[in-house]
Amino acid sequence: MELVIDNERKDMEYSGTVSSLLKDLKFMREEVVIKVNGKLAPETRKIGKKDRIEIIKVVFGG
Amino acid sequence: MAETRRKDKKIARMRSGSDALSGLCHCGKEGVVFLPYSCKHLCEPHFIRMFDKRFRKTVRTMGMLKKRDRVAIGLSGGKDSTVLLHSLAELKKDLPIELFAITIDEGIKGYRPKTMVAAKRECKKLGIELHVYSFKKLCGRSLDELVRDSVGDLPCSQCGVLRRYALNKAAKELGATKLAIGHNLDDIAQTVIMNIMKNEPARLARLNEPMITRSSKSVSFVPRIRPLMLTPEKEIAIYAMMKGIAIERIECPYAYTAFRQHTRRMLNETEERYPGTKFKIVNSFLDMEDALHAKYSKGAKISECERCGEPSSRGTCMFCSLTKKLSISPISIYHGDRLLRDRRRPHQPDKTNQGHRRLQD
Repeated sequence: MELVIDNERKDMEYSGTVSSLLKDLKFMREEVVIKVNGKLAPETRKIGKKDRIEIIKVVFGG
Repeated sequence: MAETRRKDKKIARMRSGSDALSGLCHCGKEGVVFLPYSCKHLCEPHFIRMFDKRFRKTVRTMGMLKKRDRVAIGLSGGKDSTVLLHSLAELKKDLPIELFAITIDEGIKGYRPKTMVAAKRECKKLGIELHVYSFKKLCGRSLDELVRDSVGDLPCSQCGVLRRYALNKAAKELGATKLAIGHNLDDIAQTVIMNIMKNEPARLARLNEPMITRSSKSVSFVPRIRPLMLTPEKEIAIYAMMKGIAIERIECPYAYTAFRQHTRRMLNETEERYPGTKFKIVNSFLDMEDALHAKYSKGAKISECERCGEPSSRGTCMFCSLTKKLSISPISIYHGDRLLRDRRRPHQPDKTNQGHRRLQD
């Protein structure tokens, strides 16, 4: 799968859900929005081999 | 009996597919948002519908707006206030109210100019008038300069005092009957917890002040309304994305210093483990509010600050205490080229504050 975090992309292998990926990458579910293949997706979604996962941080201080 | 009914409903929901396991919205479409606190998936149209419905319900049930209100929106250009601007503009189609926006330019290099561009762009798009006020014009210094010159004070404390003062002052000068703020569920839950952790129940009792009913006792405060107070922060960002509202994803450079930042992280961790925690905190506060108010605000009167004449619960308001501490003489608030407030009295010796010029409305 292709992983994009704040416009930085990398390829990696992962099997599981978006939720477990967030946990592994130490992201808080409450602070990010997920797009899978360019569309908004719930954290419960299973990640496919060819999926493009985008993690967008949306909670900021200020 | 009630327990059995709840279980039956849950089984029916699972069978119909509108459950966490199925990933489907109750309409049968694929869910794009999962709401852990209600264990529901929603498709885009149903999420937008739920969001709008909650926004209007909050405004209606808490009596935030009435016909012919002149509403000032505190617009920072961030996602919360921008979504608030759009939602109020949408509400205006059904409720005859006047809208305009106020942006406070604190003078934070690399942060505020970017969000101000967004604020101007969104107001232009919606045809809403925007008024810009700055700390520099308010007290002669930008926040960056205040931080540079002050010792020991946290930037967020100074900024909070000056911003609250400036927003109320500006809203009043521009004839607003309500001041709408983009505080969301997360903000309110954080404030409740912070006041408890700092052992400040009296301040907690004033959290919703000056707001709606109680504020009407004080003519000097423009009543504040928070129509997004029951909407989680993340859902505001999702809504903005769905509606194509461009949001500036930028963090204030001083935010790391705030106690709020620590509280936010702590609450988000708890919410992740125990979904619905933020709703429970805010609902508990709303339930306790009257009791807190009766105990801590009973007999407390809002009077005028002895220096500037603005509303204050003590002799000198927080703005004047801060400017005095920083050795700043509050100048006046300018609105563009127009001087909105420069009605100082000639120098009058003050018993409590010798040598300082008194400002009088």
